[in-house]
Amino acid sequence: MTTSLWRQHILPFTLLVGLLAAVTLAGDYLLHRMNLVWVGRYLGIPGTLLIIASLIYSLRKRKYIKAGNPKTLLTLHEFGTWIGASLVLIHAGIHFNAILPWLATAAMGVNAVSGMVGKLLLDRSRRHVQEQREHFQLRGLSRPDTEQAIFWDAVTIDAMTRWRKVHIPIFIVFAVLALGHIISIFLFWGWI
Amino acid sequence: MSRTLKIILAANLIVIAILAFVYPNLMVGPGKLIPGHKQLETDCFACHAPLLGAASDRCIFCHKPADIGRLTTTGRAIAKPLASTPFHQKLITKDCVACHSDHAGVKRFRQQGRFNHALLQKKELDQCQTCHKAPADSLHRQITGNCGQCHNQNKWTPATFDHGKYFELDRDHNASCITCHTGNNYSRYTCYGCHEHTPSSIRREHIEEGIRDYDNCVECHRGADEHDIRGGHGEGGGNREGRGGREEDDD
Repeated sequence: MTTSLWRQHILPFTLLVGLLAAVTLAGDYLLHRMNLVWVGRYLGIPGTLLIIASLIYSLRKRKYIKAGNPKTLLTLHEFGTWIGASLVLIHAGIHFNAILPWLATAAMGVNAVSGMVGKLLLDRSRRHVQEQREHFQLRGLSRPDTEQAIFWDAVTIDAMTRWRKVHIPIFIVFAVLALGHIISIFLFWGWI
Repeated sequence: MSRTLKIILAANLIVIAILAFVYPNLMVGPGKLIPGHKQLETDCFACHAPLLGAASDRCIFCHKPADIGRLTTTGRAIAKPLASTPFHQKLITKDCVACHSDHAGVKRFRQQGRFNHALLQKKELDQCQTCHKAPADSLHRQITGNCGQCHNQNKWTPATFDHGKYFELDRDHNASCITCHTGNNYSRYTCYGCHEHTPSSIRREHIEEGIRDYDNCVECHRGADEHDIRGGHGEGGGNREGRGGREEDDD
């Protein structure tokens, strides 16, 4: 893998995922420090609402709705899901109680990462590999030599393509598990 | 999405749904129940009313308010009650979950050991000693009842004791209690040990003024202003024998 693919694409992706983890840990720490742990209990609600609202992009993309600029909706989808995921992660905290909500949290984490793969890595990496290919061919390398030179980058992209395919199925899993968690809360918790 | 993947996903979700019904305590329960309710772990609706949460009437079904603190739910006498006096009978409302929580995960969000005294009948409100033990320090040993004079029912500390009646804790004396009240004895104090308050310097200054009895500092000095001298023998000089401190209720 070339240094530039790592620096230009993998590193920003790692930073974005790391930032999600850092925001979660910092939020959880602050709530404990300020004796506001109870607030974390309710952060799941705005987090879930943000994730649901960000699905407008998915509906627009699949033409279930016609209104809205897809590019703007994609940006909202990216920000909404990232902030929503961080709120849900703070809500989950570092407490391990019931299994179902933790399965939902894990599914959400995989879903968020697969989304970030799509956003940050895949398109840019494809472009990068194509540029590399053209660059090597311009320098007079034969086709097999060019393919040899970009072999590891191509393998990485192939792995990322598979990873992104997880995005929709894992979202369905996340949605069903989260729904189960929400139903159980309504069923057993006294809201009034 | 391929058909195989859909089938795998659906099968997994069905298994999880079945597990949620068979093991609700593990799948959706927020942590273990208290040891006394262990046998209820898989029977959520023993305590929870659907869509309404844990209901007090379900608690009272087993825990009769008249027996709490006296008899167990099986009718046996409680050998070592948690509270010295049964007080559940003196509550104005039967709202069990206002104080009690059962699941370990929920307890984390509740302030443990906090009791809203507003739930007590009015005539019980000043009977603190029936539930609370007075602190063992020498100040509290001298006091019986009337806790509300200094403490309120929301928090034991800070107490609302008016220190200014005895000595004003101004910016020059913004010290912690143990600076002056050593040995956890709040009935005595010492002014020695701080900046110029050495026994020799205090002695010298008072003898110069003709004051021989200067051990009970706050009898004349009620604050940092050394010229604001009150008390019986401010200028003439006292002649009582020194004590190295004083009883606060002498004042």
